[in-house]
Amino acid sequence: MRVAVADDTMLTREGIVHLLRDAGIEVVAEAEDAQGLLHQVRLTRPDVALVDIRMPPTHTDEGLVAAQAIRAEHPQVGVLVLSQYVEPTYALRLIQEQPERVGYLLKERVFDIATVVDALRRIVDGETVIDPTIVSRLVGRRRRQDPLAGLSERERQVLGLVAEGMSNRAIATRLYVTERTVEAHVTQIFQKLRLPESPDQHRRVLAVLAFLRA
Amino acid sequence: MTGVPIRRGDLARLAAGLVALAVGFGALAIAQGPGTSTTYAGHSSLTATLTVAAGLALVGAGLVTAFDRRTARIGDLAVLAGLVWFASVWVGWDKGPPLTRSLAMLAAGFTFPLLLHLALAYPSGRLRGAVARALVWVVYLETAIATLGRALLRDPFFDPNCWANCTDNVFLVRSLPRLARGIEVADRWLTAAAAAALVMVLGWRLLRDSWPARRALLPVALPAILLAVTVIAHAIALQRTPLEDPSDPVFGAIFLIGCVGVLLLAAGLVWAAIRTRVQRRAVARIATSLGQAPPPGSLQAALARAVGDPKLQITYWLPDAEHFVDAIGRPVADPVAAPGRAVTTLVRDGRRIAVVSHTAALPDLERELGAGVRLALENERLQAQALAQLDQLRASRVRIVEAGDSERRRLERDLHDGAQQQLLALSYDLRLAHTQAGADGDAPTGSLLIEAIDQAQAGLGELRDLAHGIYPAILGEAGLTPALASLADAAPLPVQIHDTVEGRHPAVVETCAYLLVAEALDDAAGRDASHATVSVMKDSGRLVVTVKDDGTNRTATMIQLADRVGALDGQLAVEPTRLRAELPCG
Repeated sequence: MRVAVADDTMLTREGIVHLLRDAGIEVVAEAEDAQGLLHQVRLTRPDVALVDIRMPPTHTDEGLVAAQAIRAEHPQVGVLVLSQYVEPTYALRLIQEQPERVGYLLKERVFDIATVVDALRRIVDGETVIDPTIVSRLVGRRRRQDPLAGLSERERQVLGLVAEGMSNRAIATRLYVTERTVEAHVTQIFQKLRLPESPDQHRRVLAVLAFLRA
Repeated sequence: MTGVPIRRGDLARLAAGLVALAVGFGALAIAQGPGTSTTYAGHSSLTATLTVAAGLALVGAGLVTAFDRRTARIGDLAVLAGLVWFASVWVGWDKGPPLTRSLAMLAAGFTFPLLLHLALAYPSGRLRGAVARALVWVVYLETAIATLGRALLRDPFFDPNCWANCTDNVFLVRSLPRLARGIEVADRWLTAAAAAALVMVLGWRLLRDSWPARRALLPVALPAILLAVTVIAHAIALQRTPLEDPSDPVFGAIFLIGCVGVLLLAAGLVWAAIRTRVQRRAVARIATSLGQAPPPGSLQAALARAVGDPKLQITYWLPDAEHFVDAIGRPVADPVAAPGRAVTTLVRDGRRIAVVSHTAALPDLERELGAGVRLALENERLQAQALAQLDQLRASRVRIVEAGDSERRRLERDLHDGAQQQLLALSYDLRLAHTQAGADGDAPTGSLLIEAIDQAQAGLGELRDLAHGIYPAILGEAGLTPALASLADAAPLPVQIHDTVEGRHPAVVETCAYLLVAEALDDAAGRDASHATVSVMKDSGRLVVTVKDDGTNRTATMIQLADRVGALDGQLAVEPTRLRAELPCG
C-alpha cells in the first residue's frame, strides 16, 4: 500500500511515517500543508492520503478542504482525516461530500498503528471509517423519546459498528459470530428504526449517522 | 416704540421720504402741465400714474427695507434710486427754472447705475465677488465722467436730437456739440453693456446658488434683469431712431416695461422684508415650540423649517473629543462653507457651542437666534455630548467582550498546538518503548507502558474537551448552527433545536449566542430538567435566541450572560424556565 502523509508538526509527521514504514507500508510522500499535499498526490498517486485536519494557514478545517480537493481530482485516492475534534458535523461533512474511500479518526489514534493500518486498509477496500468516539457520542446522545431504547444490547453494538463503517464480515469477525447472524441483526435494526436498507456500504453509514444526529 | 433711540440715519430717511413725496407729486404736476410733450409721463394719464407710482413705490420699499438695520444699505440705495427716478420728468419742465432742469438732466443718468448697484448688493448690502465690485465701480465712474462731460460741454440748443430739454444747461463752459454727441452715444452703449453684464452676473448667481438662496434672490434679480433688458432695448431703439419720441410705440412700450420692472423690484423688496420678519419671528418662537424635553435633532428640524432651508445642519463641538458631532452624538465632518452655503459659529461665554451650516441667503443668522434658542442649543449640545460618551462606552464594552473572545480562541489554539502536541509526542515515545519492551520480552514493563499509554490517551481526551469548552473551533469555522448541533450532541439532557438561522453573523454575536445556549443548558440540567428546546430566529436585524426547559424554577440571575448580551446592546429576558436574548446583528 502506498500512502502520503500531511501534518504541519514535523515531530508528529515523522512519527507517523516511522510507524507506517515499520508496519510495512510504503510512504511515498510527506507534506506540511494542504498545498504541498495536493502537489505530492498529483506526482505520486498514492492509495491513501493521511491528512491532519488542522493545517496552515487558518488551522481549522484545511484537512477537510484538502480531502475534498483530492477526492475530486483523483477519485481513486482515498483520504483518512486525522482530527482533534470530536465533531460529528465534520465527520458527516466528510462522508456527505465524498461517496466512499474516506475516513475520520481522532488524532490520538495516530500512534496506535494497528488502528491506523486497519483504517487505511478499509479505505483502500472502498469502505468508510468513522472514529468510534464520534459514533459513541452520537449513540449516547440524549433523546426525549429514544428510538434506540427498543434495541437490544447486541443490536446497539452492531449499530455502532455499522456507523463506524464496518462491513458485515468485519463486524462478524469483531463479535465472534457468523456473518449471517450479523445480517439478521442489521435487518432487525433497520426495521426497528424504519431505515431503508441499502446494499451500498457508504450509504448505509450515512443513513445511520444521519439518523443518530436527528 | 418708546425707549428706542432715533438714529440720525432714520431722520435722514424720514426727510428723504418727505422729499420723495414732494418730488413725486411735483413730477405729476409737470407731467400734466408743462411737460406734456417733453416727458414720457406726460404722454398719457397711464404713463403719468405709472411713473409716479414706480418712483414712490421704490422709495417706500427702500424705507421699509432700511427699517431693518441689516438691510439698511439696500434700502438706502432704493430710496436714492427712487428719488433720481423722477429726474427724467423734471428735465422736461418746459420753461421751468434752468438750474432745476440742468440738475435733473445730470441726475437722471444715475438711475440705472443705482439700480444695478442695488441688484448686485442684494441681499446683504455688500457686493459679492470681484466681478460685481468691478462692475459697480466701472459703471459709477463711467456715469460720473459722462455726466461731467454733459455738464461742461453739452449745449442742448445745438443738440439735433434733443427733445426733453432743448434750452437749459447752466453748467455749460464751452459748447462742443460733436463731442457732446459722442459722449451721449458712448454713455448709452456703455450703460447697455453694463446692463448686459448685470444680466449675466444675476443669471449665473441664480443658476449656481442652492434653492433657498435662489428663492431669496429671485424677487429682486428678476425685476432687475427685466430693467436691464429695457436699458439695452432703449439703446438699440435710439440707434435706429436717434430722435426720442414718447408717442413712438416702441419707445412707449420700452418705457412702460421699465416702469413695471421698477414696480416689481419695489414689490420684491417689500416681500423680502416681510419674509425676513416672519422668519425671524418663527426662529424666535422655536424655543417655546420645542417643549420640555425635545428629542435630539428637533432643534435642527425646527430651525430648518423656520428659515426655509431643508439642508440646514447643526453640529456640536465636543472640546474633549476635539471633533464635531450631530444631535445624537455621532461624529460628523467639520462643517465648511461651500458655494451658496455659509457657516455660522455660535459662541457662548467664549466657548464654541454649535456650528450651523445654512444657505448663504440667510445673512447674519447669529443675531437672529434669541436667548431661548441659544439655551436650547446649549441643552442639545450637552445631550449630544452625553450620547457621544454613551456610544464610546458601548463601543468599549463590545471591545472588552471581543478581547475576551479572541483570548478564548487563542487559548484553544495554544492547547492544540502546545500541550496536545507534547502529549502526542509522549504517547509516541511510550509506544516505541512498548514495542522495544515486547522485543526484549519484558512483559511487566510492557504492561506498565500500556497503562501509561492509556493515561496519555485519557489526557488527550480531557485536553480536547477542555479546549472545546473554552472555545469550540467549529463555531468560528462553520458557524452557530453546526456549533449548536454539536452542543446538543454532548448535552447532559435531550435538546431539540428548531428554527436555526443559516448563514454567518458577526463573530461576537455568534459567540454570545453559543455561550448563552451552553450556559442555559447547564443551568437547565442543574434544575433537573428532562429536556430543553433551543430556537434561533432572525427578526428585523436581530438574532433572537430562546432556550426553554421543563426544570424547576430558576434562581440564578445569569448576570454574566446579561452583561455579555448588554455589551452587544442586546436584551436578555430571564424567566423561571426560559431565557430569551435579542442580539442586534445589523
